[in-house]
Amino acid sequence: MNKLKLHHPQHQSVLGIGVIFFSNLRKAFNFFLAVVFVNLGTSFRILGLGLEDWALILSFIFLIFSYLQYRKFTFYINGDNFVIEKGLLSQEKINVPFARIQTVNSTQNIIQRLLGVVGIKIDTAGSIKNEIEIPALTKLHAQQLSEYLMERKYELHEEGQEGVQEQSEEASSNRSNLRLDAKPILELKLKELLLVGLTQNHFRSGFFLFAVINGYLWQFEEYLLKPFESYLEETAESFLAQWILLLPFAILAFLIISVLASMIGTALTHFRFKFFLGQDGMSMSSGLLAKNTYNIPFEKIQYFKWESNPLRALIGFYTLRVKQAGSEVLNDRKLIGIPGIKKRSLVEVLNRQYPLRKAQAYRSFAVNKLLFFQLSLWIGVLPVLIAVLVNIFLLKSILIYPLALLYLLVVLFFTFRYFQSYRIKANLDFIMIKRGWVFPSTLLIPNFKLQNIRIKQSVFQKRRSLASLQLYTAAGGEALIHLPLIEAQELYNYFLYCIESSNKKWM
Amino acid sequence: MIFENLKVDLDEIPLINSADFEPLREDYLYMRISSRLLLGLFLAGVGAIFSLFAKLYFGYWLFPLLALILMTILYEPQAFKVKGYLLRSHDISYKSGLIFFRQTTVPFNRIQHCEYSQGIMGRLFDIASVKIFTAGGSTSDLNIKGLTKENAMKLRDHISKLSSAHE
Repeated sequence: MNKLKLHHPQHQSVLGIGVIFFSNLRKAFNFFLAVVFVNLGTSFRILGLGLEDWALILSFIFLIFSYLQYRKFTFYINGDNFVIEKGLLSQEKINVPFARIQTVNSTQNIIQRLLGVVGIKIDTAGSIKNEIEIPALTKLHAQQLSEYLMERKYELHEEGQEGVQEQSEEASSNRSNLRLDAKPILELKLKELLLVGLTQNHFRSGFFLFAVINGYLWQFEEYLLKPFESYLEETAESFLAQWILLLPFAILAFLIISVLASMIGTALTHFRFKFFLGQDGMSMSSGLLAKNTYNIPFEKIQYFKWESNPLRALIGFYTLRVKQAGSEVLNDRKLIGIPGIKKRSLVEVLNRQYPLRKAQAYRSFAVNKLLFFQLSLWIGVLPVLIAVLVNIFLLKSILIYPLALLYLLVVLFFTFRYFQSYRIKANLDFIMIKRGWVFPSTLLIPNFKLQNIRIKQSVFQKRRSLASLQLYTAAGGEALIHLPLIEAQELYNYFLYCIESSNKKWM
Repeated sequence: MIFENLKVDLDEIPLINSADFEPLREDYLYMRISSRLLLGLFLAGVGAIFSLFAKLYFGYWLFPLLALILMTILYEPQAFKVKGYLLRSHDISYKSGLIFFRQTTVPFNRIQHCEYSQGIMGRLFDIASVKIFTAGGSTSDLNIKGLTKENAMKLRDHISKLSSAHE
């Protein structure tokens, strides 16, 4: 503690200037991209200076700016608070009470890796709105600081308890304070990494890529289309006529690009993925360009959700999502997902965290047919109705009717399968929800982790005396829909009893 | 004892009864109706300006507006009957919704903080509300409306005291 000298304001590693500089540069690059792009090829001159000169001058200004930002960024300890002061133009002072610290995670993006520094992020479960990040510390300093913060946090929680000193000493040899197993429970080697990439939900990554590219291109649309304008006008009609021919190629191209995108994305984010289980929690680290480490103490875990898809089911892979009480950033599904976990390891994780989850028998709750009717109405019948109406008044094509019928049948089939797959089971301590036929997912919530309950009843449900329950945890909500009213009320009262009678630490 | 697993008698779990709920103050109903009437008046003003200066047929805005006001006057008293709150020794509940009924209960040992608030209309009618925040998302938060200022402050202090006892 003394070697950290935290009672006086401290600066980051000097290399922090570099990290701040590059992050400023990236923001500036996004900002000036349009200017550069528009003037590409034309001779660009302002005040007699060309593009390169301006870039040089701006970079120099940024460098000074970054240096000042670095000088202004300090952190220290004030009583039971960890304080960060930063900001050049508008000064900010962030107070983090030790008791509010949830976890301390380390991050390393490509610049930080090149410069050999580590950033740490302090998660506070959203009780403090600002992002709390110290972007550049030396490796040793980062490790000491995050250990120190966690120690202080636990000291506050276990005040007066003996053995804390001992424990923290033992833990300091282990970099995350979680007393992890020596051997990772899951390690993605190259082969598994490729398999995980290949069995991603390609549509999602495809659409994501599409959205990103679309977003970037939007600002330059005018310039991109200009050279083709004359061509486009001439061939607009034949283009429309040929769209049916082009469509299969477009779909093929979309598929290939999507697969490539998800492969690359997986390789980047899950490179050298290691997942450790320990006595007090779990930890995972991964990343090629940006290296991230997440430490999750067991008590912070709100519930587990594991899911699969048809491709993953073939090779027996699941994705385990650890729902944590925390800020939105940390709950980002991409970050706390554990891909490519086999059933055996999954069961091991569950056994470690909830050894008594099968101590009592589970009781099943039936979901009403209304779910099937509603889904097929919204996804199937209504769109078909609109399409048919549009057809009658505008298009007048006969082709639409068999297509509409086919679509309706497909939707009915899938919604019925979905409805059939929807299972709710509960015993005295846990609630389990299984749903999804194509993308099956299961979630397991211990009752004492719930934090509030809502019962909902629409007029449609009232007629059938049904009701829906909404269960809220610190990591978000999950719904139990269309249960018989009596059972919904029974669960409602029982869950409240569980929460109110529990003394266990839930967050 | 390391682990204790008592038998739970499901019949003895306390139940939430919708008959136990306290109705909100009647002034809350009048406040809602009058704030909607004020909104209607404002919209009518905008419509009148269009009619005067842009020669818009007044029926285009007047009749829909009158229909909306009529619906409000018919709907609000019915919806008011559904609204209510229930304070028990370990939790607090609020219910509302004529067409889409919803009832939420937040146990005191899961409350992060709670605050008291009163709007401009609320000051005229002596109506205040208490907002209750839990961890995680904002969708799960509870807003208990239609209390007197005095009661709202009392309720806030009561909840704050009970929820901080659990930390």
